[in-house]
Amino acid sequence: MVDQAQKEFRTRDLLYSIALWFLSWLIPDPQLHYRREYKFKKRDLFYLSAVLVFPLIWPDPHIHHLMVLAGIHGILALGLTLFLGYAGQISLGQAAFFGVGAYTTAVLTTRYGLPSFLAFWASAIMAAIFALLIGKPLLKLKGYFLALATLGFGEIFLVLVRENASLTGGVIGIFNIPFFSFAGFTFDTYLKQYYLIWGVLTGLVLFSKNLVRSKMGRACLAVASSEEGASALGIDVAWIKLGVFTVGAAFAGLAGSLFASVMSTANPETFSLNLSVLIVMMVVLGGMGNLYGPIAGAIFLTVLIDRLSRYQEYSLPLYGVILILLLIFFPDGIGTRLRVRLIYLISYFGRKKRREKVNL
Amino acid sequence: MFLRLEEITKQYGGVQALNGISLQVERGTIKGVMGPNGAGKSTLFHLISGMEKPDSGSIWFKKKEITGRPLHEIARLGVGRTFQTLQIFGNMTVVENVMTGMHMRIRGGILSSGLSLPWTREDEKRAMREAKEMLEQFGLFGRWKWFASQLAYGEQRRLEIVRALAAKPDLLLLDEPAAGLTYPEAKQLAENLARLKENGLTLLLIEHHMGLVMEIADEVAVLNKGELIAEGPPEVVKKDPSVIEAYMVRK
Repeated sequence: MVDQAQKEFRTRDLLYSIALWFLSWLIPDPQLHYRREYKFKKRDLFYLSAVLVFPLIWPDPHIHHLMVLAGIHGILALGLTLFLGYAGQISLGQAAFFGVGAYTTAVLTTRYGLPSFLAFWASAIMAAIFALLIGKPLLKLKGYFLALATLGFGEIFLVLVRENASLTGGVIGIFNIPFFSFAGFTFDTYLKQYYLIWGVLTGLVLFSKNLVRSKMGRACLAVASSEEGASALGIDVAWIKLGVFTVGAAFAGLAGSLFASVMSTANPETFSLNLSVLIVMMVVLGGMGNLYGPIAGAIFLTVLIDRLSRYQEYSLPLYGVILILLLIFFPDGIGTRLRVRLIYLISYFGRKKRREKVNL
Repeated sequence: MFLRLEEITKQYGGVQALNGISLQVERGTIKGVMGPNGAGKSTLFHLISGMEKPDSGSIWFKKKEITGRPLHEIARLGVGRTFQTLQIFGNMTVVENVMTGMHMRIRGGILSSGLSLPWTREDEKRAMREAKEMLEQFGLFGRWKWFASQLAYGEQRRLEIVRALAAKPDLLLLDEPAAGLTYPEAKQLAENLARLKENGLTLLLIEHHMGLVMEIADEVAVLNKGELIAEGPPEVVKKDPSVIEAYMVRK
C-alpha cells in the first residue's frame, strides 16, 4: 500500500519540491556550524545583500530605527551565543557589559572630548577588562549557580551606576553624546546608522564564524560536551570559558558604545535585568549553536515588541503567549529547525490527502 | 624511569581505594592492570591523569613530579587517556573530534583564530588532513562527516582512542578499551594496540578481557581491594595462586 502511494506522481509535488529547493538555500540548516569549509556560501551572500538592500526597498525611518535597535540586540545576542550556545555556559550579566560599553563611550566623548571612533574601541576593551576580572572567580561556578552569580553582577553594576552620580550622572544618566563619526563622516540619520550597525554586525559575524571554525570553536564545543574529556586532551577548560566570556563581553561593549552614540543618551534603565533576559530569550528562541539564529531571534523579538506595543495593556500577555507557542513549536529555535519545520508544514497537506486515499 | 608511582594512597570517605601502590612502567612497553570490580584500577588511572589527587605518595613522569597537577597540564606533558564511560563529543562530527585532540598542536589563540590569520588557517588545514589520515588508519574514514553521537558503540570506543592519539601522547592510559566490543572488534583493537607499541608508544591499560591483556601485555599488575597482589609477565601472573584466588575462581 505504501508503495502505491510513492509511485503516484502529481504535478503538485513538483511545486512542493521547487518550494523546498528555494528554502534549502535561504534558511540555515539545522547544524550550520558543523560545516566548516573555508568559503562563503550562496546563503551568506544572500543574507548580506538582503541586509544591504532592505532599507532601500523599505524607506520608512521608523523601520530603519527599529532595525538599528534589532542590530544592536543582534550584536549582544551574537556575543552571548558564543558563550551560551557554543561553550554551554549561561550568563545573565550581558546587559551589564552593554552598560559598561555605553558609559565608557558616554564619559569619554562628553567629558574628555575623545572622538567616538576611539571611544568605540575603548568600550570594547573596557568591557573585556571587566569580564576578565569578573569571570575569573565567577566561571568556577556551573549551571544555575553561574546564572545567579552573573545576575548578581548585573544588579551590582546597576547600583554602582545609580550611586556614582558624579561619574555616570546617576539615575538621570548622560545626555548629548555625539553621533558616531569617522573621518569627518557623521552617522546622523537612521539610514546611516542602519548601515553603521549592520556593518559592525557583519564584521562581528565574520569574526565569530572564523572563531567557531577554528580550534577555539572546537574547544568550546568540547567544553560544552564533556569538561573531563576536553581537559584530558590538554584543553584548559577554565581559560576557554574565560576567553569566550571575555569575547562575548567585548561584543556587548561594542553594542553599548553604538547604542550610546545612536541614542545620544546613556541611563541605567536600559541596562536592567530585563535586557539580560531578553538577550537570553533571543539566543534561545533564535537557536543555539548557530550564528544566524540569535540574529534572527533579535530581529524577531525587537519587531514583535514594537508591534505589540500598540495593544497597550494586552501587549505583555500577548507577548508571553507568543513566546510559549514558539517554544512549543520551535523547540530548537526559529533559526535552527525552521527548514525542517517548514518542510514538514509544506508536505503536511500532501501527506494528509495521500493518507486518506491510501486508506492504511 | 618513564612512569613511576611511589606508595600511592587514596581514600574515599572510609573506603581505602588504594593502599601503598608502587608501580613502574618502562618506555615502549604495554602494561596491563587487572583486578576484580572495586579493586582500585580506575582510581589509579584518575590519580595518574590528574583527575584526582592522591592522599599520599608521589607520581613521576619523565623525571618530573606530576602529583596533584591538573588534568590538562598532565595532558600537555604527554599523558593521553580514554575513559571507562565514554567522553565522546557528541555535538561534533567524527573528524572534528579528532581535530580537537590536536588542540595542543595547533597554533593560535582567540584573536588570531577570530581574524583567521595565515598560520592558524594553515595549521587548521594540516590538522584536517592529519585527522583524516588517522581515521583511515583506524577504519573510521567512511564516517568522518557523521556526528560522533551517531556512531555505534564500538566505533565510539575506537574514536576515543584515535582522539587521544591525535594529541601525540608519550603515554596512553586506556580504561577498559574492549568493554562492550564484539570478539572481532576486540581482536582488531589488539592488533591496533600492538602496532602502536611498535611505533614507540607506551600503553597502560585496564582490562577485564583476560584474553586481550594476556595477548598483548608485556607485564601485568593485578590489584585487589586496593593492594598490589602480583606483578610480572602474563604467564607468571596467570599461575600466581593469590591471583587465581582473588580474580579467577572467586567470582
